[in-house]
Amino acid sequence: MSSREISSETVRRELEAIVGPRRVSVRDADLDTYARDMWPRLLLAHREGAPAGHRPHAVVWPESAREVASIVKVARGLRLPIVPYGGGSGVCGGAVPILGGITIDTKRMTALRGVSADELIVDVDGGLNGERFERELARRGYTFGNFPSSIYCSTVGGWLATRAAGQLSTKYGKVEDRVAGLTVVTGRGEVIETDGPSRALRGPNWTQLVLGSEGTLGVITSARLRVSPAPQMQIYRGFEVENVAAGVEAIRRVLQRGLRPAVVRLYDELDTMMNSMGGHHPDHDLQADAHAPVPTPGEGALPILPHPAPPPEDGVVGRLLALARGGRAIHRELLGAALDRANVVNRVFGAVAEKVARRGCRMIIGLEGARLRTEVEAALCFQELAAAGAHDQGEEPGRAWIAHRYAVSYRMSPMFRDGAFVDTMEVASSWERLMDLYHSVRTAIGQHAVVMAHFSHAYPDGCSIYFSFAGRGKDRAEAERVYDAIWRDGLDATTRVGGTISHHHGVGLLKAGHMEGEHREAMAILAGLKASLDPDNIMNPGKLGIGGGPVGRAR
Amino acid sequence: MTIGTELARAVGDANVAPIAGEPAAWQVAPAAPAEIAEVVRLAQRHKIAVVPLGTGIRPSADRGPRVQIAMRRMDHVIHLDETSLLVHVQAGLTGMGLEKILVPRGLSIGDYPPAVLVSTLGGILAVRTPGKSSVRHGFFEDAVVGVSAVLGDGRTVHTRVAPRRSTGPDLARALCGSEGTIGVITGAVLRIHRKPEARFAIASILPSIDAAVSAVYLALREEAALAGVRIYDAAEARIHFANATPPLPAMSEGEALVVASTAGPTDLAACDRDLVASAVAAEGGRTADTRLAELWWRRIHAGEPTPVAGPTLQVTATPGKVRAVYRAVCTATAGSGGARAHVSRFDADGAVVFFTLAGGEAARATAETAAREAGGYLLGARATALDPYLIGLRAALDPHGIMNPNALRD
Repeated sequence: MSSREISSETVRRELEAIVGPRRVSVRDADLDTYARDMWPRLLLAHREGAPAGHRPHAVVWPESAREVASIVKVARGLRLPIVPYGGGSGVCGGAVPILGGITIDTKRMTALRGVSADELIVDVDGGLNGERFERELARRGYTFGNFPSSIYCSTVGGWLATRAAGQLSTKYGKVEDRVAGLTVVTGRGEVIETDGPSRALRGPNWTQLVLGSEGTLGVITSARLRVSPAPQMQIYRGFEVENVAAGVEAIRRVLQRGLRPAVVRLYDELDTMMNSMGGHHPDHDLQADAHAPVPTPGEGALPILPHPAPPPEDGVVGRLLALARGGRAIHRELLGAALDRANVVNRVFGAVAEKVARRGCRMIIGLEGARLRTEVEAALCFQELAAAGAHDQGEEPGRAWIAHRYAVSYRMSPMFRDGAFVDTMEVASSWERLMDLYHSVRTAIGQHAVVMAHFSHAYPDGCSIYFSFAGRGKDRAEAERVYDAIWRDGLDATTRVGGTISHHHGVGLLKAGHMEGEHREAMAILAGLKASLDPDNIMNPGKLGIGGGPVGRAR
Repeated sequence: MTIGTELARAVGDANVAPIAGEPAAWQVAPAAPAEIAEVVRLAQRHKIAVVPLGTGIRPSADRGPRVQIAMRRMDHVIHLDETSLLVHVQAGLTGMGLEKILVPRGLSIGDYPPAVLVSTLGGILAVRTPGKSSVRHGFFEDAVVGVSAVLGDGRTVHTRVAPRRSTGPDLARALCGSEGTIGVITGAVLRIHRKPEARFAIASILPSIDAAVSAVYLALREEAALAGVRIYDAAEARIHFANATPPLPAMSEGEALVVASTAGPTDLAACDRDLVASAVAAEGGRTADTRLAELWWRRIHAGEPTPVAGPTLQVTATPGKVRAVYRAVCTATAGSGGARAHVSRFDADGAVVFFTLAGGEAARATAETAAREAGGYLLGARATALDPYLIGLRAALDPHGIMNPNALRD
């Protein structure tokens, strides 16, 4: 691809012919903005003020699928890459234009064409912001049920392109479980619709073949999504279990009994300790937590994001970082521990965690839905947990979790100082392999960084594990080396025990080099889809480990 | 070496037979994916078609040079993971065969219609028909966690097992519904269930089909997790429950019988039954003898015979179109003796309306047109608008065009 030789000016002229002069930009400020997403590895460089490694030739804001199709045709003609861009909240580099090209910002496609009450389906554009989407549905008495912590800064199309999950996925499913049909502009520059009752139509299910394609097959411009009636009641509760294994077993019993709480979360010893030391527990912390969205009366499930405030360091991530820097917020005996001796820290931590969190691991369980059934189901869930040895801690921990559930993600950027970084790795497996996965990945990451984990997104057949880690290098180059080593070892460990390398963040550039290990021979099917939907190989090059481009395994 | 000899070398002498009356057609019965891969590579060399065969219930219209791959020897359970409630099976095992293995362990494949489960699991997954659904578990494909297959170039693929993943498209879905054109499905990992702690049934009479459909969706909206539900119009109910014990109560024209079954933890299953009862009451219905619903359930799931011939027309409709499809077919066929129907196989996608046309085959064309115009999908419908993409996918994975070449081309 000779994309480097094409001038931004040429691209601008071609795009202006489609969308007019006001919805195309080749300005430096825009090209810099669209050079990256929220991939923490790029934040390390960004924090230093380093220039963007890869910029698009142009950014364009189409307003319809037809315009997107024309743009893709132009790109085909120029043999230029297309990179779809939603909220830019991705954490895997999925929107990074590694070969330049045209970045399509979908955020001007925001129509919500009403809910069909009979079908319980909403027709919505891909560029609509998640928070606005849920608010619009709530006004009409429905919910889509996807509440990722990025909901304030992610789009519906971005969710679908990455197979995203929200905090209440145990009841509502991941987004891919809720899709009745997609409108997609393929790499051929054609608009296709994948609708129709899947079981009634012969041939493969195209909806499921496009979901999760991260822009490598086409641009999702709108979707027909299944909605649920807004919940009539919510019941949240905290439990404590002796250790991680006991907690995992308790969750498995609940799910396999056919019960569907909206959310079950189990924090490992360290994560539990972090929680009990800061952010989540006492009510008076709500005020102190100014940097993160908190609910005010009458705002329901979606607190409004407050104005940016100076980053406090009293939350979970703050404490983790304070620890990384040898800061004040943590127990005295850990003061000397530094992240470049992370394996020692992890061990010390384990011991301290056991002492501090004497009662074991915390678990949060929440149910919501129709009044009558939710009450019955909650009683059964609590019985089952008690029978599995979990101790009821009352409503308070559950309420505290609800209040702070969007907080953590908005506190990450202040951490990227002095070569320090934080990131999260979300893997999943069947129940049979879950503890193996937990220990293997924890050990793998623990060689390089301080690591803690919680279990969330449970299913009758398995569960995901969400590892949070903080590391440091003495300069950016070393920080990047440590960062890459964490991901290499963590994902290798995941593949080795038969887990999946991503439960809901996606692949992007970060995990592209691990896709062969994930899918092995079945990558042939992905390559076949690519050949069919994107014959010129222009759609979001380098992502998902297909489509050429300088794809490296994170190293 | 002749093709027959080569096939014998791949799968063993005893497992190859020429198909009678055809010069270049064989049936092979391989025992392992590696043998299938060998057969596929051989077919590729000789440019002959590869056609998978399950139980062979569905007659094949195929002619011409081909190897038919009978799956009968690949009927083993490879791994039963009772911790995760997953079972890894070979594709030649039938749904019923699997159920026989699961039931003694207190497990079950789930409340799918046994009429579906008589097929091989490979066949159930490879061919889409609307009946393969359960209110409680959804579309059968949703139970698939992973698929193993041999592609057109002889490559063996296994899609990896995870409860959910965000690592690109769901590649198993390229094989499901592809009718052997993308690959021969050799095995699958399926979600299974524990035997429910309790089951309840409920029968009611609603003033109209519309009210009955509304009552069902009202209960589903209140989150009742039903094991099964069916609506009969008055004519259909009278025929299906003629001489039943207890007798069907008198129903006037236009009324509808709703039978439903719930399953799960006792309190929850009872709650779900009560949700149906209140939905029925809200739509102006009255309760009928529970034993009618129990009889319906035994007929479907316990082999008690139904004293009626099968329906003549199946139409799938999304939830909002069920009533319109029913009305359209009844109205369109009124001049030719009319139609009776039951509505069944509900899931989030919709339901299937099973019509019996009094006018027989002569009324079929009229009924089908009416159903389609009302927004229904006929058995075997296909989204042909996406054919160029399917052709592209097939070309990429099967460059010689040998994988069940006549399928999905109609």
